[in-house]
Formats: sequence, C-alpha cells, structure tokens
Amino acid sequence: MSKMSLRSSLLSVAILLAAAGCAPNVHSSAIRGTGYVRVDEVVKHHPLYAQLSQLDDAIAAINLRSAGPQVPLGAAQLASRTGELNRELQAAQTRANAILAQKQRDYAQRETQAVQAALAAAGIRGSGATAAQQMSGASAQQAAQAAQAANADYMAYQQNVIAQNNSASSSIERQLQAQAAQKYRAKAEQLQQNETDLSLRLTQQDAASRLAIKMRLSNLALDPTARKDAQNQLAAIDSKESSQVAAARNADAATLRAYRAELDRQTGDAIRSQVGAIAAQTQGKLAERRNEVGSQLRSLGPPSMPANVPPDVQARIAQIHRQYIGQFQADAAKTVSDYNATKSDLDRQFAALHGADVGATGAAAKELDALQKRRNDLYGEITEQVKRDATRIAKEQGFSIVFVDVWSAAGGYDLTNELIKDVEGQHE
Amino acid sequence: MNIRSAIFFAGAVSLAMWAGRGAIAADLTDVGYIDQADLASLPIFVGANRQLATFKAQLDSQYNAQVRRVRTDAERQQVAMQFQQQLSDKQREVVGPLFQRAQLAIAAVGASRNLTIVVDKRVVIYGGQDITKDVEAVFASPQAIQPPAATPPPSEIGYVDQTALDAVPKVQTANSAMQQFETTQRQVYSARIAQARSPSDRQQLMQEYNKTVADKQDQLLKPLVDQTRAATSDVARKKSLLLVLDKADVIYGGTDITADVQNELTK
Repeated sequence: MSKMSLRSSLLSVAILLAAAGCAPNVHSSAIRGTGYVRVDEVVKHHPLYAQLSQLDDAIAAINLRSAGPQVPLGAAQLASRTGELNRELQAAQTRANAILAQKQRDYAQRETQAVQAALAAAGIRGSGATAAQQMSGASAQQAAQAAQAANADYMAYQQNVIAQNNSASSSIERQLQAQAAQKYRAKAEQLQQNETDLSLRLTQQDAASRLAIKMRLSNLALDPTARKDAQNQLAAIDSKESSQVAAARNADAATLRAYRAELDRQTGDAIRSQVGAIAAQTQGKLAERRNEVGSQLRSLGPPSMPANVPPDVQARIAQIHRQYIGQFQADAAKTVSDYNATKSDLDRQFAALHGADVGATGAAAKELDALQKRRNDLYGEITEQVKRDATRIAKEQGFSIVFVDVWSAAGGYDLTNELIKDVEGQHE
Repeated sequence: MNIRSAIFFAGAVSLAMWAGRGAIAADLTDVGYIDQADLASLPIFVGANRQLATFKAQLDSQYNAQVRRVRTDAERQQVAMQFQQQLSDKQREVVGPLFQRAQLAIAAVGASRNLTIVVDKRVVIYGGQDITKDVEAVFASPQAIQPPAATPPPSEIGYVDQTALDAVPKVQTANSAMQQFETTQRQVYSARIAQARSPSDRQQLMQEYNKTVADKQDQLLKPLVDQTRAATSDVARKKSLLLVLDKADVIYGGTDITADVQNELTK
C-alpha cells in the first residue's frame, strides 16, 4: 500500500467516524426509528412568531378589559341601553324574516319547475298535468304562506312578549329604585333627628353650668383674670358640645354611606333576581310558541294528486316535494342559526347590563372572534410549515414515525433543534 | 492494491457502524392513527352534534336567565355546574352509543392489524398507519361489532392522564393558588387598563400583566411541571418505553403509567 492510498484510507475512516458522530443512528434500540418534535419550541423561532405574539397580546387585552369591574349604570342609562339592544334584536328578527320569506319563494318556484319537468318527462299533459301542477304549486304556495304566516305570527308574538318583559322589568326597576330612595331618605332623616336631639340634650345638660358662668360674667366687678377664665370655661363647654355633635355627624355620614352601598347592593340583587325571573318566563313562553310553530310546519304534508295521474308520477312529485322541503329546511336552518347567534350575543349583552359576568360582548366579542380566527389561521400556517420540514428531515434521515406534543421522552430522537435551525435557515 | 483499499474501507464502515449509538433494533411500526375530524364528519355524528348544539343553545338561554338571579359567586358557580351536568348528561345520551360503536370499530381494526396503540392523527406528523377509512367502514357496517378477543399487545408508547395528575394534592393546591392569583391580577390590571391614557400605556400594562402572571407561574407551577416530567421519564425508562403521550391523544391501546407517576409524585 502506497503512502498516498494509506492517507486516503485513513481520511475515509475519519470522515465515516465523523459522520457516525453527527447523524443519529435512527435504528438503534434507543430510537427505533422514532422521532419527536416540540412544535411550540420551533414555533417560537419562526419568523412569523412576532405577529403571532401580537395577536395573542391583543386577544389577552380584550379578555382583560372585559374582566374589569363595570361602572354601575343609572336607571335612565339602563333603560336607554336596553332600548338599543331591543332595537338591534328587532332589526335582526326583521332581517331573518325577510331572508326566510325570500328563500321560501325561491324554493316554491324551484319545486313547481321540478314538478313541471317531472310531468313533462312522464308525458302527462293537458288537464291532468295542469291539475297536478296547480295542486303541487298550490301546496308549495300554501306551505310557503303557512310558514311565512307562522314566522310572522311568531315574530309578532316574540316582540309582544319581549315588550311585556321590558315593560315589566322597567316597572320593577323603577319601583325598587324608588323604594331604595325612600328608605335612604328615611334613614337620613332619622339620623338628622338624632343629631338634633343630641345637640339639644347637650345644651340642656350644660344649661346650668353655662348659666352660672354667664352670671359670673355679668358681674361688672369681675377681675380680668377671672373673666378670662370664665370665658374659657364657656368656650370649652361650646367646644365640647360642638365636637360631640361633629363626631355624631361624622359617624352618621359613614353610616349613611354604608347604608347607601348596602341599599344599592340589595336593590341590584333584587332587580337581577326579579328581572331574571321575568326573562326566564319570557324565554319559556317563546320556547313553547317556537315548538308549537315548528310542529305546525312539520305537519304540512305533500299535496294530494288528481286520480288520473299515475302512481309512479305521484310518488315522484311527492319525492320532489320532500326534497325541496328538506333543502329549504337545511337552508333556513343556516339563517335561523345566524339569527340565534346574534340573539345569543344580545342576550349576553343584556345579561352583562344587569351585572352578570359573561365575558366579552357586542363589538368586543366580534373583535375577539376575528382576532381568534386570524390567530388560529396564522398558527395553522406556521405549524403546517414545521410539519412539512419535519417530514422532509424524517425522510432524509430514515425515521419510521415522528410524533408531536409528546409529554415525556425516555427514548426516541428529538428533532426540535434540527427543525429550529432549518426554520431559521430558510428565512435568513 | 484496490482489494486492500476495499477491505480497509469495509473495515472503516464497520467501525463507523460500531461507533454509532446503540445496537440495531427493529423500528416502531405498530402505531396506528385516526383522523377524528374525518370520523366526526360522518352524517350520523353530524346529526348528533347538531342535536347537541340545539340543546346547548337552549341551555345557554336558560343559564343566562338564571345567572341573573344569583347573588354570590358561589351560587353562580353552582348554577354553572348544574348546567354543565345537564349538558354532559345529554352528551352521554346522544353521542355515547356512537362513541361506543366507534371504540369497538377502532379496537377491531387495531387488533386485525396487530397495532399496540392507536392515537389521534394530530400527534403523528410522519409515518404510522392511517386506519381512518378502515374504521369508518367497520363503523358504517350494519352488523354488530364484536370486541377483540384479547387486549392489545404491550406498547412501547406510554400515556399519562393529566387530569388524574392534576388531582395530586400538591398540584391541586398550586393550581388553585395560581388561579386565585390570576383572578386577582386580572381585576387589578383590567381596572388599570381601563384608565390608561394611550395605546402605548395599555401595551405597557399588558406586558406588565403578562410578566406578573408568567413570574408567578414560574414560581408556583414550573417546579411541579419539571418534577412531573422527571417522574414520568423515570417511570418510562423503568418500563422500557420510548415516549409518553397525554391520555387525551391516545384512542386505543398504549401503556398507562398514570398510577406509577402519581406514586412517584406523592413520595
């Protein structure tokens, strides 16, 4: 062996040993072709992580703001805000009703066209076809009208019940607040009377001493020192009385403040309790009516056909009717679900208005949803890239399986650092 | 000369392989996974979920109405628990039988493929056996599904039930202290944020809040998390497991080491 080939052989050994030192033996008994990635660590090194953090901060800020103590609203503010919420609810109802009516018309028209096509395909023309079309059309129209009428009836009922609810709630709030104001006035008057009584009692108690001192002071021959002394005694009596009355006044003011807080709490609780009971009754009434309307609509059956239309065509028309009713119901369910989501948000705002802790509501809730969606999309984008890179590395290195979100590892191979380098390297 | 070089090179390769870590062993191939989202999109599950969603919407309205009448946090918590219970009961009633059948289908497919564990697709990003379609086919078949005759073979993938670990007294105490701390800080900082004059002030307060909470987490929870992970690793090593997953990600099979980890933690 020449010196040259000995050198190259030694170099080969060195390279292979170095390679063995760097890459893991993925098929060793400690690894067994199994890798894992700590995705959250890799995400922290992704170039889009700063944006993700900003979104997280914005979400946390909204959650934090909605956790804050709310400034109690006065009766007028409460009524005004309740009015706004009711107007929003009514607008949502009108919108949902209009969409549903339009959908009903569309589906009825499409059903009529489908029936016409079925009759034409079956070769039925003339009076039989006209009668069947008319009956099917009339049935669809009747169903649409019935559904529209039922919806209109339900909406009217809902508005009526909600108006009653609001009126009863406002009346209860006014009564309870008036009662609280009356109690407060009575307490304040009672304390004021106590202060007057105390002042009078003190004056009476000290009347004899005061009279004696004044008698001494009326003696013209009284020497200046004794006069000064008597004047001081009189001032001391006045001061003692004033300080006792002032102490009582301060104590009464504190009592009144505490009483006001207690009354506010009691009134708030009573309003919440009674308004809650009314709202529960309202919900119950609405649910009952909704069920009634639902069962009425479900009972609308397929049209009955003239006798001269063959049974298979009748069956086909009945099937078309069922198909369009089914499609309409599925389509309408989406509109109803949108309306319910709006109503549910308004309910939450109404609950928040009356002091319930319901988290973010209204505009804040919408902003929160939008941010949450953006955050999820961005996180999904980042993790998808991490998974693609992990898959490539796993293939290159001959792994059989790679896990994420591992709780603990006693074996396997941690690919996290390689992925971090990879993610950072791709964006340098 | 060339033969000598080749022999030398072969020797070097052997040396390199010997120097590589550990002896050669068979790769882990007995791991299956299921796309639960795909399974949940079967019409029968969609229908059941829709039914549950309607029920939940009704419950939410009732809850909102009832919670307005409560006076204390304790009462509010009690009402929330009652409603949660009602929802769970309904869930059991509507989805329970479907889950049971799905479990049987997974067990049947797992047994037929000799899998030691079936996990959620989310935790496997490369390799493994996708058994979703097979499970869906068995689930959708009209016949009753027979449970497999034997339990799955021992798996080198373990799992821990984190909810059970959270019930260990010292973990429970730390979690509850952390929760209380966070509630107080949320109140304090939300009031301060509401009074902040500019967006930058708000931003600063947010950062301060995050840091306060993170510091407390480091102080209260991190030592326990580290201790739990160390205990889990010890148990896993003793039982010759490769990895340990959270129970929530394991659908079938696997080696449950929750009790051993609990014992380590309560020592």
